[in-house]
Amino acid sequence: MRLPALLLGPALLVNLAIFIAPMANLAALSFHEARPSGGVGPGPTLATWASIAEDEYYIELVTGSIGVALGVTVLTLLAGYPLALFIHRAAPRWRNLLMVACISPLLVSAVVRTYGWMVILGDTGLVAAVLRFLGMAKPPRMVFNLTGVVIALVEILMPTMILCLLAGFGRLNASLEEAAASLGAPRWRVFMRVVLPLSLPGVLLGCLLAFVLTVSSFITPKLLGGGRVILLATEIYDQAIVTLNWPVAAALSVLSLAVFGLALLLYGRLLRMVEA
Amino acid sequence: MIGRAAHRTLIAALFLFLLAPVVLVIPMSFSADAFLIWPPSGFSLRWYAAMWRETKLIDAARNSFLLACLVCAVTLVIAMPAALVLARGRFRGREALVALLTAPLLLPTIVLALALLILFVGYGLIGSWPGLLLAHLLVALPYGIRVLMTAVSTLPPAVEEAASSLGAPPWRVFRRITLPLMLPGVTATAATGRDVPLRGKPDRPAGRRGVSAAGAADAQHRHRAGARGGARADAG
Amino acid sequence: MAGTALVLEGLTKRYGALAPAVDALSLTVQPGEFIGLLGPSGCGKTTTLRMIGGLIEASGGRVLVDGRDVTALPPHRRDMGIVFQNYALFPHMDVAGNVAFGLEMRGMKRGEIAAKVQAALDLVRLGHLAKRRPKELSGGQQQRVALARALVIEPSVLLLDEPLSNLDAKLREEMRAEIQDIQRRLGITTIFVTHDQAEALAMCDRIAVMAQGRIAQLGTPHDIYEHPASEFVADFVGRSNRIAGHAADGRITIGDLAIDAPAPVAPGPVTVMIRPHRIAFTAGGAGWNEVRGSVRRVTYVGDVLACEIAAGGAAFLVEQPTRPGAPPPETGTEVRIAWRVADTLVFPRESA
Repeated sequence: MRLPALLLGPALLVNLAIFIAPMANLAALSFHEARPSGGVGPGPTLATWASIAEDEYYIELVTGSIGVALGVTVLTLLAGYPLALFIHRAAPRWRNLLMVACISPLLVSAVVRTYGWMVILGDTGLVAAVLRFLGMAKPPRMVFNLTGVVIALVEILMPTMILCLLAGFGRLNASLEEAAASLGAPRWRVFMRVVLPLSLPGVLLGCLLAFVLTVSSFITPKLLGGGRVILLATEIYDQAIVTLNWPVAAALSVLSLAVFGLALLLYGRLLRMVEA
Repeated sequence: MIGRAAHRTLIAALFLFLLAPVVLVIPMSFSADAFLIWPPSGFSLRWYAAMWRETKLIDAARNSFLLACLVCAVTLVIAMPAALVLARGRFRGREALVALLTAPLLLPTIVLALALLILFVGYGLIGSWPGLLLAHLLVALPYGIRVLMTAVSTLPPAVEEAASSLGAPPWRVFRRITLPLMLPGVTATAATGRDVPLRGKPDRPAGRRGVSAAGAADAQHRHRAGARGGARADAG
Repeated sequence: MAGTALVLEGLTKRYGALAPAVDALSLTVQPGEFIGLLGPSGCGKTTTLRMIGGLIEASGGRVLVDGRDVTALPPHRRDMGIVFQNYALFPHMDVAGNVAFGLEMRGMKRGEIAAKVQAALDLVRLGHLAKRRPKELSGGQQQRVALARALVIEPSVLLLDEPLSNLDAKLREEMRAEIQDIQRRLGITTIFVTHDQAEALAMCDRIAVMAQGRIAQLGTPHDIYEHPASEFVADFVGRSNRIAGHAADGRITIGDLAIDAPAPVAPGPVTVMIRPHRIAFTAGGAGWNEVRGSVRRVTYVGDVLACEIAAGGAAFLVEQPTRPGAPPPETGTEVRIAWRVADTLVFPRESA
């Protein structure tokens, strides 16, 4: 036990210095109050928490962020599942190629992909050009609003979702499906009774990650939202860097951690249910 | 087979959706326009020339590279022994330790960055090399531990025992057997060490991202929309 | 090369509060002897081997090599060659590199290493594959590299942990002979762990049959097979008819049958065990047990004819080599079967 302690020591020390201590400090900061002149007042006080609890804006921010995250999660699952299943069933020599194609967006940063979506969805972009060509005088606006943010987030999260789903399909092999079919199940029942249940752990993991990543997503809402789409992460940024109201930023951080905790808890519960 | 055709179309559409933004960025980088317009009015290399003229960008790239080397080295030195213990050890609280040491990968980057920023302001670490190093370790270290743990656990069984039965003392077993066999995992860590600093710069495209051998669960933190917050913490 | 004496004294391995995996095991191995540790999985044979090699710490007892206590030594200072079940070849080194590793660790000079590696590879007939990587070799070749790697360091003791279990049946018999040859030639003291009784009988000088962390019987293959010390050993080594009976007045009754035992048996419930191939379709005589029964099932397996005979409410499996011109008995016919009294193994019934 002495040697392991020695080997783990440096990692634990660094973890304490740059993770535990800052996070504890951040949590403590939420029990202070911002002075009108800027800076942080003496604590502890519940004033910041009280102001957040009373402000409808923040309540809407939290519920809205959760709502957007849930929506993005469901859409990502719906878009990712058919692709993942297609890749899983592809012939081995195609499979690797398809997999690389699916995952290749991960090699490009979210910033670049967000710019890509601005090119596609912008007022002078690809989709607008096509719609105009088809005769639509005034194509709908798809950037600087929630529509664009959701479309881009779904695309950005798809590779992650597909990876999780493929991992979940690991337990699924062709002979299981063939067995079900040989027992008289039509294709859709094979899917509902065999494919879907077996893939549920992967679905859950993919959904957890998509949800969590949406809640903490930052660049995409900032760029594609044009300041009009405000989510937890962007608000934390604005409070911390623009408004310089650290206590509120800290309190919102704690709130987002709580949302994460709830998501993890739910994931654990559902996973146990699925695997039972 | 209308169903089959519809299925094919759906798959093709989804692939198109997934790959469109990445594919489009390449022609756009050759655009001759000053704004994001599709289709571009013409193609040119003007943006590449502009990038080359930007000396600050080149300086930043050099600093990034130096920092990356430093982060990478420190990460390996700290993460390797921890990963060995965590992957091999059979002691109480092991799971909890793994969770603690890799937790920064799961939490929102903006929150982590803010926490560091606030603490660093107090200690005057903003904009300093130690500050930069620590900030990058926040993500590089958990990632390194995770990747190396995977590397350790995929070592072929019994080879280390075989080496020691042939007379190799523990450190030689590590140097001649464990380390070389972990090399793929170590390379992955080294790559992230370089990767994270590149991502952390303000207003720049985040660095490259990869899919690690560690699999899907590791993929998530590589998407980090919150890098800008971290960038501010670094850049001061 | 003169072999080394290996002595185990009360060797014990405990994991937590569970029953000990190895329970005060004592064994004296003569120099140059080939000893088999034979038993079902979980009997503690591999644990014993790993304690001898120092791969796991003993909870109690001692390991003595030529009278020297090595119990506290780490594996790299024990000087034992180990061949692992999955061979554990170093995937990042070629065959020669694998074999050279132990010599390098001993600080041997390059030229000397090269010569020894070549000799060791020649010994296992792999001299021509020195530059191959382990994954480019077949299972049998990998196994021989592992053997060469363990032997080249001229260990005091050779430990073989189920070395043949990953090979297919034909190769296994080949390797059996090869390992046995090399061991005889080098005269190296060898511990051989296996769950395959045929392997143990074929290869070992003596066999320690293990059960529940203890040695159930130690003896030559002949002893173990012909004179098993317990019902467990008789059942585990070779195949046996296993029939419940009752001992009284110097005889044993099985239903309405009465047979003789080779030695006096204490009255009470007993298990009678007879090897199927020791029973013949003949009339008995003096020194034979004879019973009558009816043929219930006949199985023809080419070289062997297996018949199940119902008699005395029990089933007797009879196995005889097939002969031309001797048609198998028909199901339902009445037959006489007999076996030597000396082939009758009788054990008191393990507490009912």
